[in-house]
Amino acid sequence: MGFLAPWFLGGLAALGVPVFVHLLRKHVTIPRPVSSLMFFERGTQSSTRHRRLRYLLLFALRFALLLLVVLAFADPFIRRPAADTNGRLLLIVLDDSFSMRAGTRFTDAKQQALALLAAKPHSQKAQVMALGGQFAVLTQAITDGAQLRAALESIQPGDGRSNFGELGRSIRAMGETVHGPIDLHLFSDMQRTAMPANFADMVFPANVTLVLHAVAKGTAPPNWTVESINAPAELADPKDPKRSRVQAVVAGFGAPAAEKTLSFIVNGKTLATRKVNVPANGRATAEFAPLDVGYGFNRCEVRIEGGDAFPADDTSVFIIRRSDPERVLFVHGPNDTRSALYFGSALSAAAQASFVLQSVTAEQTTDLDPSKYAFVVLSDAITLPSIFEHTLAQYVSKGGSVFIALGTNAGHHARIPLWGADVKDTHDYSRTASASTVGQVDFTHPALEQAQPGRDNGGWAETKIFYAAVVDPGQARVAARLGDGTPLLLDRQIGEGHVLLFTSGLENLTNDLPLHPVFVAFVDKTARYLSGSERLSGSRLVDSYVQLRSAAEPVGEVASVEVIDPSGQRPLTLAEARTVQTFRLQRAGFYLIRFANGRDAVIGVNPDRRESDLEPIAPDVQQLWSGSKGEASIQTANAPGDEAKYRPVSLWWYVMLLALLVALAETVLASGYMGTQREDA
Amino acid sequence: MQRFLDPAVLAGISSLDLLAKTVVDGFVAGLHRSPDFGFSQEFAEYRAYTPGDDLRHVDWNLFARTERCYLKRYRGETNSQLVVLLDASNSMQYTSGPPKKMDYARFIAASLFYLAIRNQRDAAGLIVFDDEVRDYVRPSTRQGQLARLFAGLEQAEPRARTDFGKPLQHFQELLHRRGIAIVISDFYEEPEKIVRAVEPLRFHGNDVVLFHILDPQEIRPLLKGPALLVDLETEQEIEVIPEYTKTAYRAKIDAHIEQLRSRTQAAGMDYQLLVTDQPLDGALREYLSLRKAGN
Repeated sequence: MGFLAPWFLGGLAALGVPVFVHLLRKHVTIPRPVSSLMFFERGTQSSTRHRRLRYLLLFALRFALLLLVVLAFADPFIRRPAADTNGRLLLIVLDDSFSMRAGTRFTDAKQQALALLAAKPHSQKAQVMALGGQFAVLTQAITDGAQLRAALESIQPGDGRSNFGELGRSIRAMGETVHGPIDLHLFSDMQRTAMPANFADMVFPANVTLVLHAVAKGTAPPNWTVESINAPAELADPKDPKRSRVQAVVAGFGAPAAEKTLSFIVNGKTLATRKVNVPANGRATAEFAPLDVGYGFNRCEVRIEGGDAFPADDTSVFIIRRSDPERVLFVHGPNDTRSALYFGSALSAAAQASFVLQSVTAEQTTDLDPSKYAFVVLSDAITLPSIFEHTLAQYVSKGGSVFIALGTNAGHHARIPLWGADVKDTHDYSRTASASTVGQVDFTHPALEQAQPGRDNGGWAETKIFYAAVVDPGQARVAARLGDGTPLLLDRQIGEGHVLLFTSGLENLTNDLPLHPVFVAFVDKTARYLSGSERLSGSRLVDSYVQLRSAAEPVGEVASVEVIDPSGQRPLTLAEARTVQTFRLQRAGFYLIRFANGRDAVIGVNPDRRESDLEPIAPDVQQLWSGSKGEASIQTANAPGDEAKYRPVSLWWYVMLLALLVALAETVLASGYMGTQREDA
Repeated sequence: MQRFLDPAVLAGISSLDLLAKTVVDGFVAGLHRSPDFGFSQEFAEYRAYTPGDDLRHVDWNLFARTERCYLKRYRGETNSQLVVLLDASNSMQYTSGPPKKMDYARFIAASLFYLAIRNQRDAAGLIVFDDEVRDYVRPSTRQGQLARLFAGLEQAEPRARTDFGKPLQHFQELLHRRGIAIVISDFYEEPEKIVRAVEPLRFHGNDVVLFHILDPQEIRPLLKGPALLVDLETEQEIEVIPEYTKTAYRAKIDAHIEQLRSRTQAAGMDYQLLVTDQPLDGALREYLSLRKAGN
């Protein structure tokens, strides 16, 4: 509802005239003179009140007449959704992220979306999308209301995290193909944490008009959640005081200081409870130790007792796998004795490693079966017995992993076992003025992973490399390079397994890496990466991916994978189980996974804890977002299809028709009064 | 004749002289008799002389022929006196359409004066009163009397309120000769009180006539809705509903008229109801009949 000429509303001041005439001014009755009142008697009857009522009716008619005339000049209009003939596409995006489970947010949002869909003109095209962990397009742009409604009805609250930046990117990508005007209605709780770091990521193309339907009103209710869990994924010795413990961090969002009780539950049994005092909007840590868990996969859970406004996020699940220490086969050259010492020391020093190093020379590997080891290390062992090399190749193709460190022997033997390429050259930096340093480090590689590497290149800047082989990376992933660009660490997928190639040595002759603290972390992460224990247990976030099989073309018989979701269902079809490479963990809970290499895993999946902060986006930011189309539309004012979101329907004729009827009624009524006045005169 | 006596027509004539002449000439012409008939020294009879009779009335010619002494007697040799008592209270200015009751009363008085002085050669006088005597023109037949009477009528503008008791005491002092006294009023007073106030005039041998002037709306008022009525004399206001005027009021005014008529007739006076939308001939005919009866 609006007015095309609102300045005419100033004429409403004229309404004061009938108010003054009828209500403010004292009504004067013209007395009728008579010769004498000798024969008259006073008579007041109900007709007097009737006359006053009639005067009020006349006043109402005159008031309405003036009002209608003024409204007619102001030209009122109502907004009607533009018909499909205008080419406007109605885009309904329903937020089904984890935070929508709080209260009645999702129900309210769905009802509003259904109401909007019901009000859609039949000929207008619409499209339904879900904004959860991933932006899901549920329908094409269609006019079938039943199909659209069914798509909306099928959306259920998920465990993913909404990201308005993802929405913006998806709509921008959509805008490249859809050039007509789009009305985007977003039904969401407008969570602040869903905003991207850069506001520009949220901005839509010029042809998109955003209408926000925020279902979360007012301030966010106080909410506590288990923000993070620090627990060993693998546990060999429950009595190890360093590793046999679980640390849970409880965080409060918009919450006052409170005492919370945490329960540590393993396989459905509560093992321990702790009380923590959580400061206002702060965090507190609770520790459960030692961990009395059995062998195998233990389904663990830390739960906040008592509940709050958002009970769904009061638990955090994870898996602790108890097993005996795994053996690592360390194959070294006949003259190399230091590398085993350094590597073994680092492996045992690593906090979360559960490995036992078995060091052998190359000649002693003939009768060894690599499949009995978690992974195999080839240190400066360029020459291997052919039978062992063949066994090792099969081991890698079935999912085994090998870590190859090229020592000084690389200069004499160009061939690198398992790698499939030769050493092209060697760099002996000790002959030059100074040793080389590590230049580029890919901290996203599992062996080098660091969430926030320091300014010293994550500790690698201090490392000096004296000798390194030059290897053509080919299809391998280069995880680290030296300062002159020589690849230092390469990762290559062979079959289901990995081969990690370190172009320098593990002793202190070719580099001083073993003397630096970063070496221990490097060995630890490399061991966990190569052994695959990292992906067999622990916890993940919803919407993270699990690689079920290698990306390479399968060799020989194709093995099926198997996934059982938290509800006990198998989300993969038989065809997908034979072909799918990755799987997205869409729901919170415990997933049972059998990889293509035959290894089983149980993974605890938790929602992203940013969803627990229910604070909505500030209203001014929402206005800025929904109005962000304005600037763009100014820039592309002449763009075709850039029309109003709604079609204004003028009510001028209806108002004037009503005014005419009121005028007629007023005339009839007033003429009756004037007739009476003539008689009085 | 009707055309010349119609009050609506007369209301357009500003001069009372012309108005009265129009009315009277029209009225007299309608009688089909000579205008001078009965108004001269007319022989009536002979009567034998008796001692003490005035010798001036002896018919000496008859005595010379017959030596008998007879007195010769004439008809109409005695003149009457007309006095109009005009009510000039505020209630007389009421009208529902021309003419006003006051104007109608003036028309009647002027016509009577004209008829009396010009045609009958009677003495005529005027008393204008409301709650006291406001104007008095002594009855006379002198030259210019008619003009004085008309001037008195012109100056008689309605004001104040009616009170019969107080001015009628003065009437008795002003009226020494016998004659015809015509009281013109709307008589908004109790009939008993009116008769009691006017009755003394009758005791002096006057023929008293009450001309009751009323507007048609006063007899049959029409109200379409509740109305606020104001008394022209007292300025009192009351709200009246139409149902009352259709029933109770009509009964009351009819009873008033009838009571006034019966009381005046019982007191030996005449009563004539004159409605302002009716011709004036009724009033003139009443006067002539009275004068004829009195002579």
